[in-house]
Amino acid sequence: MKKKGLLLLLCCVMLLTGCWDQRLFKDAKLIMGATFDLTEDGRVKDTVSILIPEAGTDRATEGHAHIETGIGHNLFDARNEIDKQLSYQFDPSKIEVLLIGEELAKKDIYSILDGYYRDPRNNLSAEVAVVEGEASKAFSIKTDQEPRVSEHIVGLLDAVAKTTHSHGDNVQLICAELFEPGIDIALPLLTVDTEANKINYKGLALFHDKKYSGISLDAEQATLLLLMNNKMGKVARITRQVSETGEPGMTRYLSAEVIKQNRDLKIKPSGGTISVDVNLDLYLNVVEYPKGKLTNPKVVAELEKQLSKTLTKEANEIISLLQESHSDVLGIGRRTEAFHYDTWKNMDWDKDFKTIMITPKVNVTIQEHGIVG
Amino acid sequence: MGYRRRKSRRDKLIEEQPGNEADVKEPSQPSFSQLSQNIEYLTKALKHSNDLKIRILQDGQAALLFFETLSDQEKLQANIFTPIESGNFDSISKLPNGKKTDDLEEALKVLLRGHALYIEEGNKSLVYFTVTTTYNRNVKEPDNEKVVRGSHEGFVENIMININLIRKRLEHRDLTIKYFRVGKKTNTNIAIAYMDGITNPELVKEIKKRIKSVTADTILSPGFMEEFIEDNPMSPFPQTLSTERPDRVIANVMSGKVALLAEGSPTVLILPSTFFMFYQSPDDYNSRWVSGTFIRIIRLMSFLIAIGLPAMYIAIIGFHFEVIPDDLVSPVKSAIEQIAYPPFVEAFIMVIIIELIREAGIRLPQPVGQTIGIVGGLVIGDAVIRAGLISNLMVIVVALTAIASFVVPSHELSTTLRFLTFPLIILASTLGFIGIVFGIMFILIHLVKLESFGNPYFAPVSPLRIKDLKDTFVRLPLFKLTNRPNDANPINEKSMGESREWKRSGKSKKSRQTKGTTQPK
Repeated sequence: MKKKGLLLLLCCVMLLTGCWDQRLFKDAKLIMGATFDLTEDGRVKDTVSILIPEAGTDRATEGHAHIETGIGHNLFDARNEIDKQLSYQFDPSKIEVLLIGEELAKKDIYSILDGYYRDPRNNLSAEVAVVEGEASKAFSIKTDQEPRVSEHIVGLLDAVAKTTHSHGDNVQLICAELFEPGIDIALPLLTVDTEANKINYKGLALFHDKKYSGISLDAEQATLLLLMNNKMGKVARITRQVSETGEPGMTRYLSAEVIKQNRDLKIKPSGGTISVDVNLDLYLNVVEYPKGKLTNPKVVAELEKQLSKTLTKEANEIISLLQESHSDVLGIGRRTEAFHYDTWKNMDWDKDFKTIMITPKVNVTIQEHGIVG
Repeated sequence: MGYRRRKSRRDKLIEEQPGNEADVKEPSQPSFSQLSQNIEYLTKALKHSNDLKIRILQDGQAALLFFETLSDQEKLQANIFTPIESGNFDSISKLPNGKKTDDLEEALKVLLRGHALYIEEGNKSLVYFTVTTTYNRNVKEPDNEKVVRGSHEGFVENIMININLIRKRLEHRDLTIKYFRVGKKTNTNIAIAYMDGITNPELVKEIKKRIKSVTADTILSPGFMEEFIEDNPMSPFPQTLSTERPDRVIANVMSGKVALLAEGSPTVLILPSTFFMFYQSPDDYNSRWVSGTFIRIIRLMSFLIAIGLPAMYIAIIGFHFEVIPDDLVSPVKSAIEQIAYPPFVEAFIMVIIIELIREAGIRLPQPVGQTIGIVGGLVIGDAVIRAGLISNLMVIVVALTAIASFVVPSHELSTTLRFLTFPLIILASTLGFIGIVFGIMFILIHLVKLESFGNPYFAPVSPLRIKDLKDTFVRLPLFKLTNRPNDANPINEKSMGESREWKRSGKSKKSRQTKGTTQPK
């Protein structure tokens, strides 16, 4: 009898409590992408792309996107505004991409991301990027490459991460860097070309702490920076001019893929400050060089020398841009704190990063040249 | 105190039961010297059944009684009348193949067994002759346990033929067969077979005790016996392995288990059984060990699919859709967007439909059964999606579950798995992943606790016996299985000695000694 009562109680507890926390997938309005902008009166403008599945088809489809905008005091307020216009419930748990407008990024990106870190149901692997100008314009682009614009942007960001143009950062990965003084982030910078109906990758937006400095690197510089940062993607391609003469023009250029890279970052403390040597060895596979003769060691040595010189010069420019924007993407501060704590203690990194000596040196070795000479 | 008293009362009850050898009180009735009295007693006891034939011989001085439905007329002729006609014997009662009794009750029993009974006027001894007729089908391969390679023989409904099939495969004097009679009215002949010297005597004793304590009127099949003698009838899991294959029985008997056979049924029970025995098939041992292992791992994976897949799907759709991979979000969403019912109802409908189709397919004659399969599987499956009652993903999930449950080589466990899907579906639809975790935990706790004839059911995983894992998830080469599995506590653990010494000839000391005698082929 006791057993029966217990069983009954168990059933009651399970079935009659009334607090069924079921969230049906079919009743969720899935937000696949969100953009954030700062309005003139300092409020948040949140434009989202909502997944609308194709109804009544036999085959599985991609569905299409529905764009909705809400303006509020903060992230959740803006969300509520959007939710008022939606059937079913606003659900950001499968969000793919977060785009932040330039103006907002220059103020503080954490003020937007905070809500994403707090709610456990948010997708921490959503990719983050900065958009030049107003971010919401990105969702007005109708591309025929993909049915949904958010998917298109994700594809774009994935591709630039693969080709060593961005870190491939997502909400989760930038979190620690946002709070740590000794290291900064660089997010991919996108431009929206409304007339050509296109979204383009422009380069890397350099951040200082939680603010976009306004200074960005272009695509070529981004690759070199990532190589110096030991963050090579699947492939890293380098195309540089190696001679002044030659017709037609393309014969003056050499394209290569990086096979292997070897970065050596040395921090030398001296007299209360530090000096840094960044040595980067690149081992290249030449994929395009119409002039050829790469079987000749002399030609190869000449090319290596030429490339090393060009790249070292570029590296110097990148370093000065980093210092100007106060963006310690290489994590020199973190390393100093770890290995030279006494020096670090006496430094004011917020100010001193601009003044330290950073000497980059790129050393190129051509290892392969494809199946022709 | 209370426990002890209760226990002693129970023991007493067991002892009082008929069938217990200790104090059997077989009814007996000494035969009369008068022929008519004998016949009257017998016909009365047999309720004047019309198929009892009484042939009056020697001008009413003798009579031959037999059931025409149980006796073979030709055997009757050959065993009784031909010797008489040849003139070597002057009386039927003197024939050497007759057995004598002077108990009318025993005479009744032998009549019912199909023997012919000869009674003489003025003679108290009754003579009976074996003229039983039997109708047997061929020992063909059982339809529910087919194998690709290996023996294609199967048990039949005759216990003698079944024991013959076992003895033929196991020609050893230690193979012991013990008969029992169970069922007060049906008087079913059952037998247990085991290897003396391998099987634990305690186990045999326990099984004998349990068989003898059955007091039911009707025992029709081993299925009846199973319920009477198993440890935990409330468990959804079958605790005795039933098989119709002689080779499977031999393999189990040789590892120290006991086989229980019954007259009138081709099914043989293996006692005790473990969970993993249900996942072993003779095919594993007939094919090469690598492929055997591969197939067995697939089969064990099917266990998880069969009990967990619908629950998993419901939990994801109803609670945790964050775990759907990004690229699947849109297809999944478009598949379930227009479905009217919550996933729980959806799954329930689909599982019930599949069970209905299956059950209808079994009962109907073969040609109609196929039609049901097509109508059910294709027409209903397609229409149900088009009507928007059930999403195509749910059809995939439930169909996969059904297929996975049929992979188990044992029909009983297959049914159990499909049954266990339901509680997990309910838990998943009320509590999500947590519900599934709780459900599987309960099932595991139950499995670990379960015993089959005093041996742990979930062995060798719990209690963990590393040595026995050799033939559980994987099947190592046969020459590596040098010890019998410990499932049934065999008293003789070693099952083989060194078998492949020739492979190492010249490398180890031991093989060098026997080099002259072993010759590699």
